[in-house]
Amino acid sequence: MQEQHISTAFDRDLEGIQSNIMKMGGLVEAAMIDSARALKNRDVELAERVRGDDKKIDALEMLINEDCARLIALRAPMASDLRAVLSVMKIAGALERVGDYAKNLAKRTSLLIGSATIDGSEGSLLRMIKEVEAMLGDVLNAYVARNTDLALAVRLRDHTVDQMYNGLFREILTHMMEDPRKISTCMHLHFIAKNVERMGDHVTNIAEQVIYSVSGELPEDARPKGNLAVADDL
Amino acid sequence: MNLYHSKIHRSLLVKDARTQQRNNAELRFRAYGLTAVSVGIVALVILLVSIFTSGMTAFQQTKLQVTLELPEAKLDKKGQRDLVAMKKVTTIGYFKVLGDGLIAQLERLGVETGLKAKEVREILSKESAATLRNAVLADPSLIGSTVTMEFLANGRIDGYFKGRVDRASAQLDKNVEPGQLDIADALAERRLMYTRFNFNFILAPDASDQRPEAAGLGVAILGSIYMMLVVLFVALPVGVAASIYLEEFAPKNRLTDVIEVNISNLAAVPSIVYGILGLAIFINMAQFNQSSPLVGGLVLTLMTLPRIIIPARAALKSVPPSIRDAALGVGASRMQTVLHHVLPLAAPGILTGVIIGLGQALGETAPLLLIGMVAFVREYPAAFTSDSGLFGEASTALPVQVFNWTQRADPSFVERASGAIIVLLVFLLIMNALAIFLRRRYERRW
Amino acid sequence: MTKLPIKISAKNVDVFYGAAHAIKSVDVEIADKMVTSFIGPSGCGKSTFLRCINRMNDTIDVCRVTGDIMIDMEDIYDRRVDPVQLRAKVGMVFQKPNPFPKSIYDNVAYGPKIHGMARNKLELDEIVEKSLRRAALWNEAKDRLQEPGTGLSGGQQQRLCIARAVATEPEVLLMDEPCSALDPIATAQIEQLIDELRSSYCVVIVTHSMAQASRVSDRTAFFHLGELVEYGYTSHIFTNPSDKRTESYITGRIG
Repeated sequence: MQEQHISTAFDRDLEGIQSNIMKMGGLVEAAMIDSARALKNRDVELAERVRGDDKKIDALEMLINEDCARLIALRAPMASDLRAVLSVMKIAGALERVGDYAKNLAKRTSLLIGSATIDGSEGSLLRMIKEVEAMLGDVLNAYVARNTDLALAVRLRDHTVDQMYNGLFREILTHMMEDPRKISTCMHLHFIAKNVERMGDHVTNIAEQVIYSVSGELPEDARPKGNLAVADDL
Repeated sequence: MNLYHSKIHRSLLVKDARTQQRNNAELRFRAYGLTAVSVGIVALVILLVSIFTSGMTAFQQTKLQVTLELPEAKLDKKGQRDLVAMKKVTTIGYFKVLGDGLIAQLERLGVETGLKAKEVREILSKESAATLRNAVLADPSLIGSTVTMEFLANGRIDGYFKGRVDRASAQLDKNVEPGQLDIADALAERRLMYTRFNFNFILAPDASDQRPEAAGLGVAILGSIYMMLVVLFVALPVGVAASIYLEEFAPKNRLTDVIEVNISNLAAVPSIVYGILGLAIFINMAQFNQSSPLVGGLVLTLMTLPRIIIPARAALKSVPPSIRDAALGVGASRMQTVLHHVLPLAAPGILTGVIIGLGQALGETAPLLLIGMVAFVREYPAAFTSDSGLFGEASTALPVQVFNWTQRADPSFVERASGAIIVLLVFLLIMNALAIFLRRRYERRW
Repeated sequence: MTKLPIKISAKNVDVFYGAAHAIKSVDVEIADKMVTSFIGPSGCGKSTFLRCINRMNDTIDVCRVTGDIMIDMEDIYDRRVDPVQLRAKVGMVFQKPNPFPKSIYDNVAYGPKIHGMARNKLELDEIVEKSLRRAALWNEAKDRLQEPGTGLSGGQQQRLCIARAVATEPEVLLMDEPCSALDPIATAQIEQLIDELRSSYCVVIVTHSMAQASRVSDRTAFFHLGELVEYGYTSHIFTNPSDKRTESYITGRIG
């Protein structure tokens, strides 16, 4: 909002919450990048760090929820302010889930130490992670800039992520069928791929909340689902 | 820019110079105010004390008891107790009988006098003959008997008892002899001459120059009452109706402004101008009777109208607009709103204004002088007579009576004038007290 | 937008105080059996417009009203209409509780009396009881009917004013900031009362408290500088208003 509230304290409260969200978004982005690098380099130390840092993300989510509850009780926000606060609460929840998946990724990376890399699949996996990373970056930018077009674009890219997951699924299956000794590693890789796909879904949730906050309406068309392998109750 | 500059820390327990100066200035101011109030109070006290000391004695009168024969030979020659024949004997004859009776009484009591009979008679007031005559004509059977009655003493004797006259001044005064004073003393010793409370001062009509002891305020009080009734019944409805119209119904245009300005100005017009107005309109044009309470009342009405309209408007204005809104909102018309809601709430204020206006009218002299109320009126005016109409008989008023008496030569009239002022002040006090009582009793808090 | 019948219909209404243009070309249709609130910053004209509906502005000499205001399809500014009769049909409750300095009974009975609605004392008693019940004041007042109305508490006085307004069997109830002089408990009681009155009357309430408008009304009209900026369902106005000025006022950016 370009205009300022008559009560500057109200503006201060809102800004405080929004800067916390940005901080949280930054932490989650970093967690994703770090966990991807740990996977690529089989870096156990980095993985442990990512797991430890997740606490900060959880703490921020709790803080943001408390601040939002206080804002609603004390300031009785209306219209766009109300939508902003409601969407912040949902976005914080989504970011926290993404952070958890990143932590999970790091955990599995520790378990993969010692096992051989699966060429090709790991590369695809890393590419998938990169795509979701980019989506997260874009959606956070869309949030700051209140850019619904960008948010809509992010929403559509989830389709690509789903397709990448489907391809990866088939690849891993092939690897497992080829060499039963690789099944353990492939299972881990599969779970990692599933987590990344879910990260993508949560980032898409964030995009929808951005659109709701700015325009007051959730996008009507069902989000594109390309995920054929799984039932639609995620 | 720092809006909140820091002050040098000062102790609250130490007064700074400016505060000291200001406190001193306030003390001086209060001293001025107190002085002003004291001057006013002192002046008032002096006024009241001087009036009361000279006027209180008017309420007492010296009387003497005389036991006398009523000889038929002098009072009813024909002996038939025929009133028409008896009336032919004037007060002069009765004065003689009374005088003889007094002289005989003094002889019986053994009071020595060196005075002539005429001088002894003059101890009695000239009024006393009329008193005796009225008593005999009222009850002719008294003739031939010996009666004991109370009579007014002469004005100078009365003055002797009240301290105005002493033997030294009696030497120089041609109206009284020191010998008379001796007789008065002798009678007083025997409890036959005394000073008592004088109801006649309030009830009796005015008396001529030679009989200050018999003069009373009865006619003046009655005249004032009649005039106040006229003012009440004319000025109250007209004034209240005018103020209601001006406050509630008049459109806000130039004409209304002009009317309002003029009403305020009318309150400041000197009252004598109203007298001239009354003379021109009521006496010359409408041919009402001169010095009648009707004309006096109408003149005072004209004068009192602005003094009623202005407080009445203030009372109407003080009714909060929320009451009017509430009444209109429920569907009352403008008239119903005013009559059912505004007027009852403004009534105490209006009433107070009316009573104060009446009080002011009571004390007005100048306009009444101009319409001829200066005349010497001896009979009580009736409220309604067939040839003079309502309040048409000649009368006088309290303040006019005061004016009249101060103009007379006899020093006893000074005492009477002061007494009349006291009566006037008592009336005004009662009316103002009534106004205050009503206001306190019926004042509403919203 | 509505299935309920339109009770009050204003078209192209302008109001001038002397030279000042207080209300500018307002069109609005207010439905029956629902609560409509007028909100807006101070001086925006909402009270002025409200007072046009029962022609209370007639008492102000310099006020001039143009345009059509119809109640039940009848133009209330038609020359044949007597404002006194109109005000029996359109009741009004004011900002500061203003009971007459009379007894509770007389307060409520005054309107029916001057409109000749009761033939005898018994009928008048019934009207008074019915009105006090409608205003949720009967239980507290039934033993004190002869006591002065000004002896009640603030909230009770306002309920008495509501009883007085409904005593003339109006069809429309206008309320000009009825709770602004009351404490929160009394305010809540009045709001509860408005909720109950909604089923019998067309209620129009002017309020400067947006929270009250959001609690109490079905439709809201936002006035700004004499214009009707937005009019719609209350829930829509307060979650996603269409006009930017409405948004700014509701979120506390202008006022």
